[in-house]
Amino acid sequence: MNTSFLLRRLGYGLLLMLGVVVLNFLLIRLAPGDPALVIAGEMGGATQEMLDSIREEYGLNKPVAVQLLLYIGNVLQGDLGESFFFNQPVSSLIAQRVLPTILLVITAQVLSIVIGVVLGVLAARKPNGVMSAFVSVFATIGYAVPVFWTGIMLVILFASIFPIFPVEGMQSVKLRDASGLVKALDILHHLVLPAFTLAVIYLAQYARLSRASMLEVLGSDYIRTARAKGASPRSVLFKHALRNAALPILTVAGLQFGNLISGALLVETVFNWPGMGRLAFESILRRDYPTIMGVLFFASGMVVVANILTDMSYRLADPRLRGKG
Amino acid sequence: MNCMSRLMGAAAGAALSVAFSVAALPVFADGGTLVLGSTQTPRHLNGAVQSGIATAVPSTQIFASLLRYDESWQPQPYLAKSWEMAEDGLSLTLQLVDNATFHDGAPVTSADVAFSIETIKENHPFKTMFAPVSEIETPDPHTVIIHLSKPHPALLLALSPALAPVLPKHLFDDGQDMKSHPLNSLPVGSGPFMVEEFTAGEAIVLKRNPNFFLEGRPKLDEIIIKIVPDTSSLLIAMENGEADIFPFMQGSQNIRRLQKAENLDVTSEGYAAVGPINWLAFNTQSPKLSDVRVRQAIAYAVDRDFITKALHRGVSAQQRGPIIESSPYFDDSIPAYDVDLDKANALMAEAGFGDGMALTIDYIPGPNEQQLNLAEYMKSQLKKIGIDITVRAAPDFPTWAGRVGGHDFEMSMDIVFNWGDPVIGVHRSYLSDNIRKGVIWSNTQQYASDKVDALLDAAAVELDEDKRRALYGEFQQIVAGDLPVYWINALPYHTSYDKRLQNAPTGIWGTMHPMDQVSWGE
Amino acid sequence: MRDQDTNFQAESPALEAWRMFRRNIPALIGVAMLSLIILATLYGSFFYGGDPFDIVWAPQEPPGMTPEFPLGTDYLGRDLVAGLLTGGGPTLAVGAAAAAITMGIGISMGALAGYYGGWVDNLLMRVTEFFQVLPALLFAMVLVTLFSPSLFTIAMAIGLVSWPQTARLTRAEFLKIKQLEYVTAARAIGARNKRIIWKVILPNALPPLIVSATLTVGVAILFEAGLSFLGLGDPNVMSWGLMIGSNREYILDAWWPVTFPGLAIFFTVFSVSLIGDGLNDAFNPKLRER
Repeated sequence: MNTSFLLRRLGYGLLLMLGVVVLNFLLIRLAPGDPALVIAGEMGGATQEMLDSIREEYGLNKPVAVQLLLYIGNVLQGDLGESFFFNQPVSSLIAQRVLPTILLVITAQVLSIVIGVVLGVLAARKPNGVMSAFVSVFATIGYAVPVFWTGIMLVILFASIFPIFPVEGMQSVKLRDASGLVKALDILHHLVLPAFTLAVIYLAQYARLSRASMLEVLGSDYIRTARAKGASPRSVLFKHALRNAALPILTVAGLQFGNLISGALLVETVFNWPGMGRLAFESILRRDYPTIMGVLFFASGMVVVANILTDMSYRLADPRLRGKG
Repeated sequence: MNCMSRLMGAAAGAALSVAFSVAALPVFADGGTLVLGSTQTPRHLNGAVQSGIATAVPSTQIFASLLRYDESWQPQPYLAKSWEMAEDGLSLTLQLVDNATFHDGAPVTSADVAFSIETIKENHPFKTMFAPVSEIETPDPHTVIIHLSKPHPALLLALSPALAPVLPKHLFDDGQDMKSHPLNSLPVGSGPFMVEEFTAGEAIVLKRNPNFFLEGRPKLDEIIIKIVPDTSSLLIAMENGEADIFPFMQGSQNIRRLQKAENLDVTSEGYAAVGPINWLAFNTQSPKLSDVRVRQAIAYAVDRDFITKALHRGVSAQQRGPIIESSPYFDDSIPAYDVDLDKANALMAEAGFGDGMALTIDYIPGPNEQQLNLAEYMKSQLKKIGIDITVRAAPDFPTWAGRVGGHDFEMSMDIVFNWGDPVIGVHRSYLSDNIRKGVIWSNTQQYASDKVDALLDAAAVELDEDKRRALYGEFQQIVAGDLPVYWINALPYHTSYDKRLQNAPTGIWGTMHPMDQVSWGE
Repeated sequence: MRDQDTNFQAESPALEAWRMFRRNIPALIGVAMLSLIILATLYGSFFYGGDPFDIVWAPQEPPGMTPEFPLGTDYLGRDLVAGLLTGGGPTLAVGAAAAAITMGIGISMGALAGYYGGWVDNLLMRVTEFFQVLPALLFAMVLVTLFSPSLFTIAMAIGLVSWPQTARLTRAEFLKIKQLEYVTAARAIGARNKRIIWKVILPNALPPLIVSATLTVGVAILFEAGLSFLGLGDPNVMSWGLMIGSNREYILDAWWPVTFPGLAIFFTVFSVSLIGDGLNDAFNPKLRER
């Protein structure tokens, strides 16, 4: 992997982000409705003078083009503006919410890949066996269930009928002063249901995908050679075949990242998870435009980074692509 | 792989059981922590520049105020150890306690009080609270004289913790706009608890103030306000002991569910001063509703009894007039408009709408039981007197507020709070000079009556309690006849709390009052 | 299995696909299920009757307790069967419309990019990547809120956020097919670009696109349900997502008003994806063993 490729990829990523900023801004400014009225409404009422002072304070009285340039300038300096609702900068609101979302998304991603690949490999061992049929059916089911509905069903089952798992956020407030290990276990306890809910959809896809690519790899000359050389079936399956089937899985994992963030939005809402998705959803209901723009910007940034990382690991994993532009 | 997954399973199982047993440990050694679950999200924690429950609950713990109120609406000393209203009602002299300090150690002085009242007068949406204040005199650090341009009997109630927090002048008075002051999110006050952490939309951690000026208080070490927007999750947390108190709970099912929980008490006490009224508002300027007979016909068609008993399953109380029925100012003799469809149909015919009419109804989006469900009920009930109702949904609160505030509606469900004294929360909906387009919870019905204006203006300055009550009685009779709104019920606000909790906050202000005497049992 | 392929080579690809599809039992089950669901949502309310918004009974009557309301009632006392029968229409309509918009934008972009290559390809693919970066559900939520929720805006929003994958697929197919002999031949006899794109290449690129379109319908239905669940659906139109969203507050007391519409969505998307899988297998006989 050469540096120029990385630089080009990064530069392009930045360009995409700039596009996101412009689009967000125009969308919200050109949509019907007066942001000044929204702010005044949150404060509990407005007079004409108050509206004027709000417009002045938030720069809403300038021409749209000027506002856009100002906004881009601020974003470049890491300033995403002030929330209309909370008396705080959007960047600090997002900062409070990033880690929970990343924790949820990464856990779900790992969970779905690990379980999915294991199921897929087991199914590929006997393409016409029971396991294979199970994976096919399960994959289709996982794809067809609305994620929020799975979440609600799990809440009813495991929080209400059998109160095993908590659903009031990421950690028990009573344990906030607890030591590291207890706190970690507490977070894990809270993480089980949301992460599993989110993993279910993608789990199925990975199972199906790894089954398919395993079948392809298993049929290749390369594996036949390995078998002929007397490698054990288990070694063939996990050492040789899986390594080669990893590439498509990696690609899909990278592409899925954006969808995962969308799914996280629903899951966070169902489980009161204190992440960016819930912040975005609540901000939409409050018409807190700066916060909505901030989250859109930040979430897009996460997708861009994930894409770059995928590209890079792809290159690392597949020697044939190294050196190519 | 098999081995691996077995290992992981075992680890996860162990982790869960540890986490579980830790969560079940009793948490109150001395003082202890109180976890207050809230479905509402505060914008910030400074009640001097922001109205509403969400801010008032933390604000009253952080800031002390001049007076506090007992269960029978009587003012009690707080930052003011004594106070005296002048004979003519034009000035109030207060003596401050001399041992009160802010959380940063600075003493609370008369300058802080003067600064706070001026700030509130300028920035708080309830303009009537301190509008008559003409000057605040501070002859010495512990004496405050509030001068009034006219007598203002509501002043004492307006000095409650929920409405008039005392801010530290040395920290806030730095020229920044008070409505968006950075300290609003992490304020310093002189109340029983200090802010340790405020995660917007998530949690507020309040720690015991060791130097609180009232001896031996507060009892609790910590109050954590946990924001859980989804009510069902909060109910589960209450049942499992993850949260200890859930104020402002509504929804008949939620209330009945927690009433059944063995570890919890449920009460409707604690909301007398809030006075939350659920009503049907009429746009009295709309051509179809400008005739009082149409409004009366609607009142006769709607069955308040059915709403409170069947739709709300008996948890909400009926409300017949503009002043909450639990207030000393409520007049019991006003017309109730008991359901009478014949009379309603006759009134419609008299008004020239014998062939029926079409109307729209708006509602506040959110918990449905008080708003959408009643709108849907109106739709089916008013069909019986020939009114064809279209329910207009709003995707979010700002949209609804824009319609009603902008007078772009025919009828709307609405919830308006009394906020203690009628001057603060009742006058605003009926005074003709408070018809202010664009402002929600002003006189959005655009009701104008010279008689009512005169009565309310007189009641606002009447110092004699009996005479004041009589003036409000007459006011209630008139508006109950004119019906700018049809009052339906008091919101069934309930508080659920852990049975072991002592001195649970059930005064007239409920949890919008310093919880310095609340404690865990032995 | 592979040897059998040669037997069908003389027949037209469509006919061959149909023969494959006809023998695919899961796919046929999918077709049967979907037909049943569509028929029920189209004509069910005609036989069953009743406005799904009408309050007809005590709230939260459990299923199976009252013969008139076999699935019980919701938090307001509205009949769940009426809701399910009427609520499917908007959900399916939005799903189909959104899929059509997705395919329309996606195929146009992909075809132009793949066929012309060069700077056109570069530009269009940059635009595609740009839309892929936006978190779909979040972006759709913003669009719907800003331009007020209606079936039209919801379908538009879903279409706008879902087309990039179709565009990529179309582009890949076009890149592959445009190098084939018959395309070169068409060009040699002087066929215009427009004709080559729509009449020569597209028909040959259709099989994977049809599969993709089918799956897009499923995704769009899930999308619509998600938006309605969050309260961003059209509140004046009964839909399955709206039923779940509005009854969510009460799940601790009543599981059925949330469970049944969820199952309805599930079975719809499930049948759609069974059909998609069947089509996929039918168009790619070589992959059938997978």
